[in-house]
Amino acid sequence: MVLAFTATAIAMLISLIPAGIVIARDDLPAAVVGYQFITAVVVMVLVLLAQGFQRSGLFELPVLLALLMFGSGLVFVRALERWL
Amino acid sequence: MIARDVCADVLLGLAVLTVASASLGVLLMRDAYDKLHFVTPAALVAPVLVALAVLVQMGLYENTGETCLALLAMVIAGPYLSHATMRAIRVREKGDWRQ
Repeated sequence: MVLAFTATAIAMLISLIPAGIVIARDDLPAAVVGYQFITAVVVMVLVLLAQGFQRSGLFELPVLLALLMFGSGLVFVRALERWL
Repeated sequence: MIARDVCADVLLGLAVLTVASASLGVLLMRDAYDKLHFVTPAALVAPVLVALAVLVQMGLYENTGETCLALLAMVIAGPYLSHATMRAIRVREKGDWRQ
């Protein structure tokens, strides 16, 4: 079962490649969308790795990232709207 | 125990399928407005599936609680972020989001 959670995390990390291509290749608004996609998936990857490695302490990271995702996302879109 | 494992595996598989298809959507859609639609499955549906997988595997436990907390933050933040992004792109293009 440990393997299932870790394998899912790896599969999700591979799924980030298309979003990385969007960030590298497309225009700025599309890149912000790609950034939001990656942030959302990374929260899940951290949950899956914490569960996969059976470390309770590691569950703090996805909670913090999920909270910070909101603030950082708003900062990005505000910058996109006004200055970029 | 086996039923739990199978159930968790199915949920994890569905989560991977959701994220992979959303990822392809983000890559293949034409502009940022269209791409933004595909962030929602990855930000709302897949976390629910992952949280259910953890719940099925661990039961009601500390780890499940923290997973649900992260899920709750994402579920609340996701729609706000999508709306703010859409609005910012509109302001960037037209000068005012109401136009």
